[in-house]
Amino acid sequence: MPAASPLRAAVEVLPAESELSAAARFTVADTETVLPGHYPGFPIFPGVCLVECARQGAEATLPPQAKGATLAAVESTRFTGPVFPGDQVDIAMAWKRTPAGDWQMRAQLSTGRGPAAGVRLRYAAPAGDAPAAGGEEAA
Amino acid sequence: MIGQRDIRARLPHRFPMLLVDRVVDVVPGERLVALKAVTCNEPWYEPLGADTPEEDFAYPASLLVESWCQSAGVLATWDDPNPDVLDGQVMLFGGMTGVEFHRPVLPGEVLEHRVRLDRKVDDTLLFEGETRSAGETVMTVGRIVMAFRPAAALRPATA
Repeated sequence: MPAASPLRAAVEVLPAESELSAAARFTVADTETVLPGHYPGFPIFPGVCLVECARQGAEATLPPQAKGATLAAVESTRFTGPVFPGDQVDIAMAWKRTPAGDWQMRAQLSTGRGPAAGVRLRYAAPAGDAPAAGGEEAA
Repeated sequence: MIGQRDIRARLPHRFPMLLVDRVVDVVPGERLVALKAVTCNEPWYEPLGADTPEEDFAYPASLLVESWCQSAGVLATWDDPNPDVLDGQVMLFGGMTGVEFHRPVLPGEVLEHRVRLDRKVDDTLLFEGETRSAGETVMTVGRIVMAFRPAAALRPATA
């Protein structure tokens, strides 16, 4: 059973292109839990639910070295087009490791009408997995 | 104290996406403090059971952000409320930068969203602030961008 989430349906992860790039998709059914309240009589898929799509896509495609990393920040998000019930949201993701040892995931989300959002998430490396930069730590 | 009546006169959001319970302090055009009680009766918790790990009951980060942004929305529309998304000027969430999560939030916690208006440029408002719970900062918000646009901007373009 997945963790608590505003998404009712699952984010579908597509076969990986490589360890650091991935793709997923999410179909916004008109039965999504959030829609009756966002907004009554005029359902729009909330921007934060696009961030949630990116988060679920990220957590399903964490690079092997990033296992156990947890969401530390939404570094940036830009919403560029509305998403409505019936839309399929395509999620293109790219991973990279930051100099500090965290993991950063950039996602571009789009629908058939064009770009919907750009999302950059940061995952904190699990404790004890900092890169060997300082070298002064005791064993 | 400003309750649901005044909040619903300002925000178009409704169950289960109205995520502001109460406003406890407001300086119009400047800052606002709002409360949101997290409860296991929110629908996101419905599929979870006794075999669900405790950490999976964390309040979704996306909804934490949404709740904070709705508090900003109450401040943004304080003097000129429009709870109708089909008419007039509607509030759009343009984006955010530097939103950091410091610890998970669990059902039973009462979140205190602190929202400050940083800048207003034409119809675009920039907010910053944080969320506290039980004396701890659980989220910091570097910046969120909110834009007011004609309601027609939300409709799908007809080809």
